[in-house]
Amino acid sequence: MSEIRFTTREIGSLAKPGWRVKSVSGRPVGSEDVEEARRWGERLGVEGRERLFELLAKGEGFTKEERAEIQDFAALYAIRLLESAGLDVVYDGEQRRSEMYDHVARHARGFESRGTVRSFDNKYYTKAAVVERPRVESPYDLEEFLFVREHTDRVVKVPFTGAYTILDWSYDEYYAAGSMLGASASRRAEARRAFGLDVAREVIRPNVEGLVEAGAGWVQIDEPAATTRPEEVPLVVETFNATREGIDARTSMHICFSDYACLFPHIEDLVDCYELQLEFANRDSREPGRKQEDRPGYAILEKFAESAWDGRIGLGVLDIHTNFIEPAELVRDRILHAADVLGPERIEVNPDCGLRTRTWEVAYEKLSNMVEGARLAERAINGS
Amino acid sequence: MPQTKAYAPGIYARSEELVQATRDLERKRTTEKEVERRREEDLGRLLEAQREAGLDYVSDGLLVWQDIFRPFAEASEGIEPGPLTRFLNTNTFFRAPSPAGGRVRLAEPLGEPYFAFSRLPAGEWVATLPSPHSFAALSTGGIEAEEIAANVIGPQIRHLAQRGCALVVLQEAALFGGNVDVSPLSRALDALESPLPLALQLPFGDAGEVLGELVELDVAAIGVDFYATDVEALPRPFPKTLLAGVIDSRNSLLEKPQEIARFAAELLGELEEGAELHLVPNGDLQFVPEKIARQKLALLGEAARITKEER
Repeated sequence: MSEIRFTTREIGSLAKPGWRVKSVSGRPVGSEDVEEARRWGERLGVEGRERLFELLAKGEGFTKEERAEIQDFAALYAIRLLESAGLDVVYDGEQRRSEMYDHVARHARGFESRGTVRSFDNKYYTKAAVVERPRVESPYDLEEFLFVREHTDRVVKVPFTGAYTILDWSYDEYYAAGSMLGASASRRAEARRAFGLDVAREVIRPNVEGLVEAGAGWVQIDEPAATTRPEEVPLVVETFNATREGIDARTSMHICFSDYACLFPHIEDLVDCYELQLEFANRDSREPGRKQEDRPGYAILEKFAESAWDGRIGLGVLDIHTNFIEPAELVRDRILHAADVLGPERIEVNPDCGLRTRTWEVAYEKLSNMVEGARLAERAINGS
Repeated sequence: MPQTKAYAPGIYARSEELVQATRDLERKRTTEKEVERRREEDLGRLLEAQREAGLDYVSDGLLVWQDIFRPFAEASEGIEPGPLTRFLNTNTFFRAPSPAGGRVRLAEPLGEPYFAFSRLPAGEWVATLPSPHSFAALSTGGIEAEEIAANVIGPQIRHLAQRGCALVVLQEAALFGGNVDVSPLSRALDALESPLPLALQLPFGDAGEVLGELVELDVAAIGVDFYATDVEALPRPFPKTLLAGVIDSRNSLLEKPQEIARFAAELLGELEEGAELHLVPNGDLQFVPEKIARQKLALLGEAARITKEER
């Protein structure tokens, strides 16, 4: 039997450094921002960093070209952070994207921003309405991908916000026009399905297609909204399949903070879904142990073991909502428990979700421990 | 002809200014006091908007509530706020109540700032609370609905009664998805011992499957989202006051008052004698930006006005 090795990677976003946020938004960059750039640049050994310091020293009034250069540096720093933490698969921490929903709504035709809505506590997001049939003219993440591809030798996984999440997080002033008050369930479902499939085929797929043509080998469809309407999980599956139709690349799906029980049995209809990357650590105990009772956050894995869907599980082992640094031994135990339930060959390792709400210091420590935990788990299984 | 009323219970949207203030506070660019000042302004505008719309009850919009469960999870012994959990079919999260050991008990009824008693007209305001069943069902487990009713929500309702509340809307978000057993909810409602009329509202979802059982519960009113529930699912004649969710709080599309009034007229014909029709949003207005929420309040008032005039 070949030795087990657990692939490690991030899910998507990292926080944007202050120097990147301020310079791009037109606010003055202070000496503390330059110091931060210097500290991380040196720690990560970022090539050409002197040019960044030179740019930031200007403080304000950055030209369009300078802002673009600073954004390139932010992407480069993020790539180096993920590499330095030891991840096998990297991207750029979505340094060029505003936010996973807004990024798509801004680039696609057919959406208009309607304002700010609260997500939780004092966290908000900008929400748009679909006002006409959505579409894109050309792949909008191509430049971002090419930059990453050129600046790393690691495997690259490109995250894309999925069609169902765009549908669910948008207001509908087009497909639902003519009033849904008192409408039949089939009329409402028909409008939602038409919207979801249009986004999949006319917005997400053309973007994915463009990147795959440019060499992207692994595409991650992010569907955090997947189970928010349990009756629509079949539509999540349908939009995933519509997105990947004709796409010649490894395709996986990330779902988080959701009721995974709602996924069954519908995931059996996923076409060529290599993996589901899921969040577990948020609901788990912080105590060590690999037995079922030690790992309450991973109880749902039993259902995956029973399911006819036999893809891989991207195991969330880091809680992205706390600064608690998971010890490598805790990560190891979470992996070993999952390996006991599903078999080690079905397990890959990641945080629960993107680490954008954590500082780079915390994100780095968490990710480094995640990698170390994966190595400990391998040693426990391989006996070396 | 049944009486018609209109009002907007639930968590209301924060203005762009308040959003910015809370963001600034997190980044330490402003003070708690400034955020509080903004919140007071928001509250004033909300109360004014409801008055202008001619709504029959006013709501304080629960502007300081981080989610529908949090104030009670924080103020009760034996419970604490747990993991961040996605809420229903909205792109929002709540801290799932978690058992913290020991007897569950509201240490002290919630007052200001959770309820803006000093700004609400006695006998003319509506409060929104979590249904005890929902509280238990959406917890991390190990929390009993009857215990929540008797020791947490019940004492709060009795306190609200002393402070001039006219009606309590219980948000019940855990009855969707089929094969739902309504008996734990029924027992929890019995344990509430409420001196105030209660409305059980099922926000954002198809209530069709359970409506037949809900009308048997010991509550004065049932709330139905008519953007997710087929009107044909309504038991006829409807024996209780109907909180008809006729404003879609999950969509920016603005409703047409005439259309709502036509729909309301249809509903009025389905009510048993003595029952009332209450026109409400189908859930918290916090799910649309505040400027849209304000427009929807005005539309709700206008729809109610037309309905009342056409009676």
